[in-house]
Amino acid sequence: MMIERRALVGAVVLGLCIAVAGLLVWGFAAPYHQRLFFTFLVNLIAVVGLQVFMGNSDITHFGHVGFMGISAYVTAILATPVAVKRSALATAPFGVNTFELSPLVAVLFAILITLAVAFLVGLMMVRQAGIAATIATVAFLVIVHVVVMNWVDLTRGPRAFYGIPPKATIGWAVATAFGAIVLARAFRDSRWGLQLRASSEDVAAASAVGVPIRKLRFAAWMLSAFIMAVAGALFTLFVGTISPKSFYFDLTFLTIAMLILGGMHSVTGAVVGCVIVTAGVETMRFLESGPVFAGAKLPEMFGLTGFFLGLVIVLSMAFRPSGLLGSDEIDDIWHRRRLRKAGVEVS
Amino acid sequence: MEYLLQQSMNALSLGGEYALLALGLAIVFSVMGLVNFAHGDMITFGGYAMFLVAAGMGIANPALLLPVGVLSVVLFAMFLEKVAFKPVRGAPPTTGMLTAFGVSILIQNVALIFVGTRAKSVPTMDFLISNVTIGSVRIPVVQILETAVTVIAIALLVVFLRRTTIGMAMRAAARDVSTVRLMGVRADRVIATAFAISGFLAGLATVFVLARRGAVDPFMGFTPVLKAFVAAVIGGFGSLPGAVIGGLVLGVAEVMMQVVLPESMAGFRDAFIFTAVGVLLLVRPQGILGERPDFGEKS
Repeated sequence: MMIERRALVGAVVLGLCIAVAGLLVWGFAAPYHQRLFFTFLVNLIAVVGLQVFMGNSDITHFGHVGFMGISAYVTAILATPVAVKRSALATAPFGVNTFELSPLVAVLFAILITLAVAFLVGLMMVRQAGIAATIATVAFLVIVHVVVMNWVDLTRGPRAFYGIPPKATIGWAVATAFGAIVLARAFRDSRWGLQLRASSEDVAAASAVGVPIRKLRFAAWMLSAFIMAVAGALFTLFVGTISPKSFYFDLTFLTIAMLILGGMHSVTGAVVGCVIVTAGVETMRFLESGPVFAGAKLPEMFGLTGFFLGLVIVLSMAFRPSGLLGSDEIDDIWHRRRLRKAGVEVS
Repeated sequence: MEYLLQQSMNALSLGGEYALLALGLAIVFSVMGLVNFAHGDMITFGGYAMFLVAAGMGIANPALLLPVGVLSVVLFAMFLEKVAFKPVRGAPPTTGMLTAFGVSILIQNVALIFVGTRAKSVPTMDFLISNVTIGSVRIPVVQILETAVTVIAIALLVVFLRRTTIGMAMRAAARDVSTVRLMGVRADRVIATAFAISGFLAGLATVFVLARRGAVDPFMGFTPVLKAFVAAVIGGFGSLPGAVIGGLVLGVAEVMMQVVLPESMAGFRDAFIFTAVGVLLLVRPQGILGERPDFGEKS
């Protein structure tokens, strides 16, 4: 894949912003804020992963969190120490409670299994028109949830899966986020990404000039699933305890709102949306708990966070359907500014 | 034989419920291209309206609650159209769909903030939850009524779409909105009617969903409408006969699964059904009655 140097520079700068923020948090922040930042990074990776499929193919994807869930559970099942599994998964099939893998190997397996599932689902996905495809992604998320909830022997069902070695560090998360951003930009600005984006604007024209739409859609789908799988594994290895609820509609709403606010056609937009929505959600969580404000005790308002996310989506769609950044990446903005300074008329 | 009769009644009534909801989705989609993810929350709204009228106005007679349920959903559907979906009219389908998705989250969380997570009970009419015995077969009244109401509603809808001017305008709008407007039909009226019908069908479903559950909670609309969406995709998204067929197919498949699956596997039912739908779509991407998705290639 050949990509323009400008796009690569833009991606690296964006990644470096995250890295600098990571260094500051790692060096100076309190443990609570470190956890917050880690969650932010996992969400960021997930939003970038979502962008790879949604932003390039223009098909709304509600099932991305399902891939995170698969990867998270496979990692948990393989990496948890036998001592824990013997009691927590006493009746586990395939003898998974008789061995444990090092976290890194477990993550590799998790990614492979997630990709295998993505492959099968992808075969069906690429044949659908946009809307049926979207509904299929919702159905996929429900399938994953139903299986995790009901395969009690393997996943502990609705109860929490605990005892996963918390090996992930902020450093790993920063590196992964950096990698995800570069990968997403590399795909978006490659020939394939451009062709896929063209096909989402005009199917007939794109296919008339020989764009292999289904193949490219499939490629975006797999790359997206890969990034989601990494996000899921990272999350698991940081928090140490997961439950099916962690990978269901709450996280779907959150990541979709982030991507839409920032602008789904742009990786920079995904990052910007993630930052803004994270700040908003934390504020809402604070208000939700009924804090004392200027001497007055505010009422507890459970549901405020969800309300905020819904509002973000509805207002974005009503006033700025292509998101804050539209199709602009960070380097597009610089480039235009430079041209303007040089006195060139730009639209 | 009796067992078979009972189960087919099960399948028919469940399929009828899905068909009512899927039809509502398909009508709105065919007229304005909107995938209404907030359809399920209209059910929730109807449920809360019934609850508030019952609890707040002290109306103990459940018979009076039935029109409240249907009417409130119709009004709410038309309200949503004016407030939320008018700004995105004519926008790309993704914009409309995501708006509806956002509206759905908003409604759920407003219910969460003001009414709370706990389910609220809604009184139902006694005869709805009673059983009729035919020979040696006991069939719940709600199932018979639901099947009958579905059939009548579909028949009325067919008459409406074929015989009335606005109905014909709606069918025409499904093909080509701009030509319909050139003929002097107001788009506003066509779309408002589509939402009213969609709300009416959802309102009927609300009454039956509540008769079964007896309680309302903020997320109750999600599962029935997900099923309705899947039903619409099975039938071919946007096709009205497809919505009905899809609903029935899904209803039959669910009841069959329930019969076939051993108890230890019962929880996996929806996973099996959705996977089966996925396989169906692999073979026939356009659903049963839909049009082939266009990838701009020769077939």
